[in-house]
Amino acid sequence: MYRVDITADLNDEDETGYLWTFLDEARDPGQITPGALVVAGDEDTAAVCQVVDLAPAGDGTIVHLRLLPGLVDDYRQLVERALAS
Amino acid sequence: MAGGRIEQRLRLRAEPPLSEAAVLVRGGPDTQDKLARHARRTARAWSLDGQPLLGISVFAVLDIPLDELLSARFATYRMIHMPAAAWLRDRGFELLPTGLRPHYTVRLRRADSIELDELLAALGPPVANVQYARSTIWREEGRDVPRRHHRRPQ
Repeated sequence: MYRVDITADLNDEDETGYLWTFLDEARDPGQITPGALVVAGDEDTAAVCQVVDLAPAGDGTIVHLRLLPGLVDDYRQLVERALAS
Repeated sequence: MAGGRIEQRLRLRAEPPLSEAAVLVRGGPDTQDKLARHARRTARAWSLDGQPLLGISVFAVLDIPLDELLSARFATYRMIHMPAAAWLRDRGFELLPTGLRPHYTVRLRRADSIELDELLAALGPPVANVQYARSTIWREEGRDVPRRHHRRPQ
């Protein structure tokens, strides 16, 4: 069960080749800035992504996300290794 | 900021229709509720011929082998759906060549419970993703995605 920064369908992609979702689906929209690393998806499936840009679309703002390789758990282990004393 | 729905008609790729036997992939498992949410999100952002476009994303196994597509794009999914294009077409769903190849949008007309049940059936049962946790890199800027393509926030 994941607690994501921004809800997204990880299947979605547009003509930019990036995953996309709406900014107002973020738990804290203030975290969603170009370059930021976020966890996107839903409670069942999530991935670490990098925010590429924000663009107006529909009645809101679309966020483009670069899907990074690896599982969320891989990043947790990476951080644990890096911070191990 | 709001920019209006992004019209897809002129953005559709000029490609021949997928063959009936073409295999599609969608990360799952899907439920009626999830499909409804995703279809509504698409309709919020995209239009087709001026009308909100209800749709969900799938990828076709084109140009690269299935395992390569799974490891590059679906490695975070334990389960996937793998319908043939014919399964969707036979139930009346249109496959629109949206975004970059091999992405497609399965178009819904109403996204009501009857149609969502039909879509769930057409997607077929979820199966284990043999490439789960074996990820490689998906589209790379400069190789698969044009550089400086993106607009900056206004």
